[in-house]
Amino acid sequence: MNRRTSVRVAVAIIGAVACMATLTAQNVPPPLVTAQELLDGLSADGSRWLMFGGSYTNQRHSPLTQITPENVNRLAPQWVFQTDTAGRFETTPLLRDNVLYVTGPLNVAWAVDARTGREIWRYKRELPPTGSLTACCGLVNRGFGVLGDRLFMTTLDAHLIALNMKTGGVVWDTTLEDFSKGYASTIAPLVVKDKVIVGVAGGEYGIRGFIDAYDTKTGARAWRFYTIPGPGEPGNDTWAGDSWQRGGASVWVTGAYDPELNLLYYGIGNPGPDYHSESRKGDNLYSDSLVALDADTGKLRWHYQFTPHDLHDWDATEVPILADLTIAGQPRKVVMFANRNGFFYTLDRLNGKLIVGKPYVVTTWAKEIGADGRPMILPGYVPDEKGSLTCPDPTGATNFWPGSYDPGQRLFFVNAREVCATFYAWKQEYVPGERYTGGAGQRATGSDNRAWGALRAIDPTTGERKWEFPYISPSTAGVLTTAAGLAFTGDAEGNFLALDSRSGKLLWHFQMGSALHGTSPITYMLDGRQHVLVPAGTTLTDWALSDVPRVPATR
Amino acid sequence: MRSIYSGLIVVIVAAANLLAQDVYLKIPADPPTKNPLEGNADAITAGMGAYRVRCADCHGMDARGIRGPDISQVWARGRTDAALFRTIRNGVPNTEMPAHPAPRTSDMDIWRILAYLKTISPTSAAAPGPGNAGSGEHVFATNCIGCHRIGDRGGNLGPDLSRIGAARARAAMARQIRGTMGSFRSGYEPVTLTTPNGQEIQGVKKNEDQFSVQVMDTRERIQGYLREDMRTVSNEKKSAMPVFGTDRLSDADLDDLLAYLESLQGTAPVPSNAR
Repeated sequence: MNRRTSVRVAVAIIGAVACMATLTAQNVPPPLVTAQELLDGLSADGSRWLMFGGSYTNQRHSPLTQITPENVNRLAPQWVFQTDTAGRFETTPLLRDNVLYVTGPLNVAWAVDARTGREIWRYKRELPPTGSLTACCGLVNRGFGVLGDRLFMTTLDAHLIALNMKTGGVVWDTTLEDFSKGYASTIAPLVVKDKVIVGVAGGEYGIRGFIDAYDTKTGARAWRFYTIPGPGEPGNDTWAGDSWQRGGASVWVTGAYDPELNLLYYGIGNPGPDYHSESRKGDNLYSDSLVALDADTGKLRWHYQFTPHDLHDWDATEVPILADLTIAGQPRKVVMFANRNGFFYTLDRLNGKLIVGKPYVVTTWAKEIGADGRPMILPGYVPDEKGSLTCPDPTGATNFWPGSYDPGQRLFFVNAREVCATFYAWKQEYVPGERYTGGAGQRATGSDNRAWGALRAIDPTTGERKWEFPYISPSTAGVLTTAAGLAFTGDAEGNFLALDSRSGKLLWHFQMGSALHGTSPITYMLDGRQHVLVPAGTTLTDWALSDVPRVPATR
Repeated sequence: MRSIYSGLIVVIVAAANLLAQDVYLKIPADPPTKNPLEGNADAITAGMGAYRVRCADCHGMDARGIRGPDISQVWARGRTDAALFRTIRNGVPNTEMPAHPAPRTSDMDIWRILAYLKTISPTSAAAPGPGNAGSGEHVFATNCIGCHRIGDRGGNLGPDLSRIGAARARAAMARQIRGTMGSFRSGYEPVTLTTPNGQEIQGVKKNEDQFSVQVMDTRERIQGYLREDMRTVSNEKKSAMPVFGTDRLSDADLDDLLAYLESLQGTAPVPSNAR
């Protein structure tokens, strides 16, 4: 180092110190994300969106009212962000201190300035070759979890990583399972107290599913709940022979949490092989079930199995939503669930007892849900080599795209599908890491079997439909509702839609060029204006009212 | 200093390579040239199911072709296991034959389907159908060219037939021409729009959503219309393609036409004149 260089370095150091001093005086860094903020959920000031479902209830219902049914037609685009990657969004972005944190396909993630849509940092995971990854239905990710100054993300090679919120740098990296054996992870983590809760995908690859909790500080595993009980555990006898070892029961959609009961509620995926009955005689617990777990220990408190011995790939991987209702004059703490098998359920979330179980689409395989909580199965719907026509199809009456619940109107909103399929089954040998379905479903076509869909508003105290908005083909979009009486969603043809959530009347639409798929928009306040952010295709689009003036923050 | 630093880089790169190898060793190489599951009874059973669900819609339960070509003849015509594997994996660009990428479709899934297909495929090629292709070209020019294109000649209202011989089985083409095939190809569904003043716009539907419909009308004008601007938008039951019964097209003419259509295997690229 010569003399001139050392002078330059000294000047630079002095400059940097002066700069830091100025920053400290003018701009106190915002406090870290606290466990209390997570408990508070979507705050009235609309300043944040910190988890998959907005709040632990998974209601996806915002208290914001600046955008109304009367003015929603004045929404104007504020900016557009493009991922510059292949694959499409299924993510729920998070918002904190005017910065968006977004996961995308192929385990790329970004921090984006919510004011301008400009990238602040970008994280890209080095993945094994895509041909060796086994995420059955897209190399996607459903979003971050957050606590303190850390973001948590699951990966396609079945890891859980913590990223520094300011830089996108990796803080820790934990292996969930060996991806070469068919494990992957796409779920948005749920942070509860000091733990981050995740699950694994791989129900079509002969895995044994589980839900894990990891220490947010160290990445060390705190507990594991196997979704298929091992030998000697209650429920293992619901799997014939050794079929429990490769029975699937994956976990790839974020659950709900009740802080008062300290219980987690997670929907569990299909048993494997998906369609072949002889390969796994028995009820196959806890596949296609809702499980309630102690958040501190992972111990099972109760379970409710929607589809015992499922033969139609009807994962219970829909989003459970919590609410407090009055039913038959009694206050009830419930968990609501629009299931892939065609039935809508309202369960008592203290004990898993059935309160309401009613079809919300055309459902041919079961007559009704009996008083004992089990479906009354009709004959003739077991898949075989010749094929049997059943409604709904394997994708189901709905699926992983989140619904919403408006506590003011006491209405549950879900994008439902009216599609039937011919189900085939055959015996298939299990090869580790190989797709293991033992059959297939083929969507029924022709004029007698028109596939269509609808946004449906359901009264969870009765299962009755209040209204529907039909689509020409089934939508796979989630739903966001607001206290102003709006429902935001999308159709399969790429239209972003705003409806009156009280009547189902369409108020406004915009063609985005790609369908909103597997997720919903989020909404928040920024500089005095309510924004609606839409992740669709490879694009985030930010909307706000064109005629509301911006009020810049003072800090 | 510099040399130590470069040494360190070498060590790090070497370590990274080692780590990477652990992963990369698992990449499946090019498919084997011979189906590893050929003759395997379990694979044939599973392959039959997969074939019926994923292939039979277009290629037929007997593989003799419905909308898609007859694939019972593929080995007899000299295709290899490896080439067939690649066709299923990658699809055929610009045709209705889709790609079947991993991880949704594994290598073994493809080999199972081929193991089954082999059991229903004759080893020697079937004799060509009757008819004279040269005469068939004349039949085509008289009856079909107004709506169908071959290379740079013909109309656009119906599907381009430049490679129809590779894409359709002869029997399926015969059924389509005689009007006994009920389904419409996507992009060619007949539609009638009625304007508020009662004018009708007839054409084929290229695309639609709940707010709009995109059509090619019978004058080949492509145009999008808002549903709210129309009195009605009706899907027609009858194809825009006329029915050619024996009164309009004799069996002999049909044979000639089919022979011509079978000869259409695609347009070869024009060699570049540059340099």
